[in-house]
Amino acid sequence: MSIADPSVQPDLSPVLGDRGRAEAAAAAGIGAWAPAVRRLRRNKAALIFGALFFVLVALALAAPLWAQLADTTPARNHLSDTIVVDGRPEQVVTLDGVPISPTWQRKFFLGADSNGRDVAVRLLYGARNSLLIGITASIITVLLAVLLGTLAGYFRGWTDAIISRSLEVMWAFPALLLGVALGVSLALGGLRIGPLEIEGGSKWIPTLIIGVVYVVYLARPIRGRVLSLREKEFVEAARAQGAGPLRIMFSELLPNLASTILVFFPLLVANAILLEAALSFLGAGVQPPEPSWGTMLAEGVVLLSTAPHLTIVPGLMLVLTVLALNVFGDGVRDALDPRAKVRLEH
Amino acid sequence: MPSSLRALLCLSCACAAMGGLAACGGEDDSDGSAATGWTAASDDGANSGGTIKTAYTSFPDYLDPALSYTQEGWQSLWTVYTPLLTFKHSEGATVVPGLAEDMPDISADGRTYKLKLRSGLRYSDGSAVKASDFEHAIKRVLNLESGGAPHYAGIVGAEQYIKDGRARADIPGIVANDATGDITIRLTKPDGRFPYILTMVFASLVPSNTPFQNMTKEPPPGVGPYKFDNVRINRGYDLVRVREFDVADQPAGRLDTIKVEVVKNRRRQTQDTIRNKIDYMSDPPAPDQLRDIRAQYTGERYKEFVTNSTYYYFLNHDVVPFNSPEVRQAVNVAVDKRALARLFGGLLETGCNFLPPGMKGYEKIDPCPWGGPTAAPDVERARALIRQAGVEGDSVTVFGNDEPEPRAAAEYLSDVLNEIGLKAKPRIIEASVYFTTIGNQKTKAQAGFANWFQDFPHPGNFFFLVDSETIQPTNNANFGNVNVPELQAIFEKANANADIDEVADDYAKADRVLVDGAHVVPYGHRKLTVFYSNRMNFEDCTVWHPVYALDFTKLCLK
Repeated sequence: MSIADPSVQPDLSPVLGDRGRAEAAAAAGIGAWAPAVRRLRRNKAALIFGALFFVLVALALAAPLWAQLADTTPARNHLSDTIVVDGRPEQVVTLDGVPISPTWQRKFFLGADSNGRDVAVRLLYGARNSLLIGITASIITVLLAVLLGTLAGYFRGWTDAIISRSLEVMWAFPALLLGVALGVSLALGGLRIGPLEIEGGSKWIPTLIIGVVYVVYLARPIRGRVLSLREKEFVEAARAQGAGPLRIMFSELLPNLASTILVFFPLLVANAILLEAALSFLGAGVQPPEPSWGTMLAEGVVLLSTAPHLTIVPGLMLVLTVLALNVFGDGVRDALDPRAKVRLEH
Repeated sequence: MPSSLRALLCLSCACAAMGGLAACGGEDDSDGSAATGWTAASDDGANSGGTIKTAYTSFPDYLDPALSYTQEGWQSLWTVYTPLLTFKHSEGATVVPGLAEDMPDISADGRTYKLKLRSGLRYSDGSAVKASDFEHAIKRVLNLESGGAPHYAGIVGAEQYIKDGRARADIPGIVANDATGDITIRLTKPDGRFPYILTMVFASLVPSNTPFQNMTKEPPPGVGPYKFDNVRINRGYDLVRVREFDVADQPAGRLDTIKVEVVKNRRRQTQDTIRNKIDYMSDPPAPDQLRDIRAQYTGERYKEFVTNSTYYYFLNHDVVPFNSPEVRQAVNVAVDKRALARLFGGLLETGCNFLPPGMKGYEKIDPCPWGGPTAAPDVERARALIRQAGVEGDSVTVFGNDEPEPRAAAEYLSDVLNEIGLKAKPRIIEASVYFTTIGNQKTKAQAGFANWFQDFPHPGNFFFLVDSETIQPTNNANFGNVNVPELQAIFEKANANADIDEVADDYAKADRVLVDGAHVVPYGHRKLTVFYSNRMNFEDCTVWHPVYALDFTKLCLK
């Protein structure tokens, strides 16, 4: 992932900064974000996919309701159960281990997996895990990236050298490779750094790994933006008024980083969800019996031809979610700064 | 044998013939078919000669008889090396003399074994076989810290030999006379399993100048119907027929060459076998192809065999809540064997015995005390037992490894435990370190998946898994720390007797005590498969050996 053109950054405050512009916009009778919102509303594709994402979130939140309706839980095995489909009794899993296909009814709506678990229920609970990890990891990425990028960009000198070189070391590793390496070593054994102790198998492990792995991809553009901002007149003015570095960073710089963060955030979430699925597929992410789209894909691969629904269903959900976030993210970027050409690359 | 799916079987195909009949082999033909070769009909109608191609999912652990401890390895090694005692090449597990002239002469106290080497034996490189080669073979096993070393630690002086670490030092418990071919082995205590231990490939004779190192790249010569050739680590090797092999009662090979290749993808193996590009695949067909293979090829190219194996859940007697007999009973009552059969894709012969059906001492336990293979589980009774034990809501970690079936089995048990009132979650560990992890007492593994494939067809080779004498801090095979005085009394008596028929009833009793006491949760025995190309003679040349699976020496082309 990289900035295609790091020199061109979203820039909403050429001279006065967001606060100054907001004041100017307020004087003109419009809010600072109003033009962006207006541009976003004109982008139908972004709105449709944004809505799709929120539908997916709503479905994930409704997982317990669907589980109640299907009279099961995501971990419940129904290996030797029989259900009635179209008036005929059918085994949930046949004697040779082939699970039932989608029944399009309350129970086993999307079929069962090889452990006789309801795929629809696992899919929704998997969505909760994927979204939870994706969003939380992205928040961690943003917090760390803003901290490091701002420190490096504002103080420059040796602070910048240390932070930038450290980030470059991380940059040298492909995100997936680094994630898998960390995941394999930490997923089961857990993490213990001083007072911070996370038990193996906890969802915090993949969350932290993903959060850390992507820091470099956001910290670098933020550093670049801060390097540019710190030379602006409004920062000079604040400094002349006696504001210290902390105050300048919080009051002057951070508000001006909001657009950059907003542009990156949906794309970060999409990438975090993909990495979570990849880690779980390889056994280094969400641990059983917790469902995840990645683990569902891994379990389905062995029955690809006799039970294709096991791979198609979670695969489709993954594609839809990532597509929705990417299209919506592009829409947000276009709305906030139509001149910017920011994109995430692997 | 520590087992996992990776350590299941590898078989290959060969063509049948009477020993000694020559035939012309050939290379792969241009149209991509698996193998070619002229074949010659023998007196019994089976063909001799030809070359076949077989597929393994992974390369055997070693191609060195001192080190290999997987069935893939053993299957090939059995055709290249012959120990002093071996098994008859038939579907039974009869111990017969191999390179020894006769069965051992065992002293009255059961501690001394006397054997005599057949005369005129030669290795595949033409060098003469000497009685002292046996001691050298055992030294290599001990010195190289082979997985098989513990089997030979009962020989007088073996433990000291290991401790000293001097490769060329003498093992006083083995006395060999090269002039007469006499071999005397003395044990520290009587061990009824020792004749079977002598049949293991570890005890195969190799020349005395074989280095004390892993010889997989260049396997030492052996006495057997085949020899290794063209070994390509992690890619494959050839088994080439030794035409000079002539040992009484030991069959010669039928095929000229058996080409073994590593094809990691099982789905591709299956497709290639269907299309006759591979003549024999060792692993079961990929799960999503199994149903079609069964429907189309059973009886013509495909067959399933129940192995001498046992699949069970261990419950740690030393750790709460499984230190309570009620809790162990509850788990036995709640586990649904019909469900587990499905988890294994039907490749599991369910039952409640710990001993497999093909084992001496096996007496089918019927009715099963905690629920039979076709009965629904009694979940209410299990819940009541959990309440009675006062452990409702106790946390349990169920161990499994990351192979598909052990993982699914661990997840299933975890669900069962949750259903009966415990608070369980599975913990999945990488397969390569699974058994060492759960065998480490520091792990305090509460419950989990376990299985065992026999090393040799003796009940003692299964009961050591629940023998308190085998409990140790690390590398513990008694994962549940089972320590039952009644069982120990039976083992003490039965294990010392070399006549397995005399003690078969004792082992049957031990099986009942183990199952009645709900000390473990046995649920079945693994089925393995044979799947051929249509070039193979399925009907006349398929011999399933209880130890070495498909017998390579019997294979033949149509």
